[in-house]
Amino acid sequence: MRFSLFLGCFIPVRLPHIEKVARSVLGEIGVELQDIGGFTCCPEPVGFHINDRLTATAIAARNIALAEEQGNDIITLCNGCTYVLKQVNEELKRDSELRDKVNEVLSETDHEYRGTIDVKHFAQVLNEDIGLDRLAKKVERPLSGLSVAGHTGCHILSPPDVMKFDDPYDPVVLDNMVAALGAEPADFSMKTICCGWTLTNYGERQSANQLVGAKLQAMEIAGSDCISVICPQCFYQFDTGQMMATRSLKLDLKLPVLFYLQLLGLSMGYSLEDVHYGMHRVKSQGFEEKVGRILA
Amino acid sequence: MAALDEKPELGEAPEKGNEPKTLTIEAEICFKCGVCCVIRDHSCHAQHAIHFNPKHTYVYDCLGSGDPAGNSNIWLCVSCHKCEELCPYEVSPVHIIESLKAQSFEEGRAHPLIVGEIKQIVSTGYAFPLTGSSSRQREKLGLEALTQRSEEDLRRISEKTGLVAKLQRYEVEET
Ligand code: SF4
Ligand code: SF4
Repeated sequence: MRFSLFLGCFIPVRLPHIEKVARSVLGEIGVELQDIGGFTCCPEPVGFHINDRLTATAIAARNIALAEEQGNDIITLCNGCTYVLKQVNEELKRDSELRDKVNEVLSETDHEYRGTIDVKHFAQVLNEDIGLDRLAKKVERPLSGLSVAGHTGCHILSPPDVMKFDDPYDPVVLDNMVAALGAEPADFSMKTICCGWTLTNYGERQSANQLVGAKLQAMEIAGSDCISVICPQCFYQFDTGQMMATRSLKLDLKLPVLFYLQLLGLSMGYSLEDVHYGMHRVKSQGFEEKVGRILA
Repeated sequence: MAALDEKPELGEAPEKGNEPKTLTIEAEICFKCGVCCVIRDHSCHAQHAIHFNPKHTYVYDCLGSGDPAGNSNIWLCVSCHKCEELCPYEVSPVHIIESLKAQSFEEGRAHPLIVGEIKQIVSTGYAFPLTGSSSRQREKLGLEALTQRSEEDLRRISEKTGLVAKLQRYEVEET
C-alpha cells in the first residue's frame, strides 16, 4: 500500500518528532510512504483558502497534480491539509469549468490537475485501507486500563459529505481507533468543541485559555489519563496551549497529549522515549508511571 | 428588507473560483435564535470569547454589525461548520463569514496576521518561518533539513490569479 506523504507545514517545522514517529510507525504497519520534494503548504484553510480561493485552489491543485504524477493517492497527517486538499479535489472533479480555469493558472507551471487520485487522512487509511481488525493484530502490548480522551478536531468532520470521516455530532471513529489498541476511550463533555486555534491566534489570549481549560477539566472529570489527537494544531493547543491555560487559570491538572500514531507506537512496543514524549511541554509523572506499568 | 426570493445585488460577476457567496439574503433570514452559539457542549467555539453572551452571540455579532467586513471578530471563525449544521433556519453563517473575510482581504483590510501568513506561504511554501530551533530539532531526530519549496511556481500562480496585486495594496499601506 503506497501513498505520497503530504507532511504540510506544522509537523515538519514545529513538531518534527511527530514526523519521525509517523514515518516509522506507518512504515511498520505496511504503509509505504513516498516523498515529494515539490509539495508546498496545502495551503492553510483559515488563513489562505477562505481569503483568496482561486489562488488557494490552484496551489492545492498543484499539490494534488504532483502526487498524480507520482501515481499515488495522498496521505496526510493533519486535519487542515485534509480539509483543503479534499475539498479542492472534490470541487475540481465535479466542476469542469473551474478545473479549466485552474489548469490555465497551472499552465504557468509544468503541472496539470487531472483528477485521478484521492486524498486521505492517515486515520482514514487506518480505518479504510488497513482496517481496525488488522491494526489490532499489530498490537503487541495492549494499553489496557489507559483512559484516553479522543479529540477528533473540526476539519476532518465537516462538511461531512466531503470529508466522509465521522458523525460531526457524535464522533466515534477515533474512540474505535483507541479501543483497537486495548485502551479505554473516555466519554467527556465538550468533545466536539474546537481546540481553540483561531481564538489563540486572532483573539484575546484569555478566551483561548478559558476554552482549553474548560475542555481539559471535562476530560479530567471523565477520568482521562491522557488526550489523543490526529491533527497538529489540536496537538499544539493541548500541549503548549495547556501549559499556558493551566498557568493562567491556576488549574492543577496535567493531561499529556499524544498524537494517535505515538499511542499506536506504544502499543507496538515503542517506549515513551521512542515516541519522543520527552519533547512535549506537558508531562505527568502519574501518566508515565501508569504507562510504565502497562508496558512492563 | 429585501424579499426572500429576490436575487442579492452582487455587482459585476466575479472571476470563476473567486465568487462571493450570496450574503444579504442568508444574513436576513437569521432569526437570532442563538442555537448556533449557545449550546455549550457542541456549537461555535468563538462564543467562548469573553465578550459574547447568549443574547449577543458571536454569529450575530458577525452578521449584524454595521460594517461586517470591517468587524475584527470575523477572524475568530475557524470554519468548523457547526453553525451551519445546527441552524434550524438554513442560514449558513460560516459561508457568510467566509465571504466577509474574502471581501475584507480584497479591500485591503484583512487581519495583519492573515496577510503575513499568505505572504509567507507564497514566498517560501511554508505557513510558518523556518527557524533555527526547528532545524536543530530535525537534525537531532535524523530528519532531512527543510528548504524553501517551489517558490518559483508559487510566484507564477499568484501573479496569474491577481494575488500579487492584492498583496501590493497592503504594501502601499505599510510604507
Ligand atoms: S444563524 Fe441560525 S441558528 Fe444562528 S442565530 Fe441565526 S437562525 Fe439561529
Ligand atoms: S464555522 Fe465559524 S461561526 Fe460557525 S460555528 Fe464554526 S467558528 Fe463559529
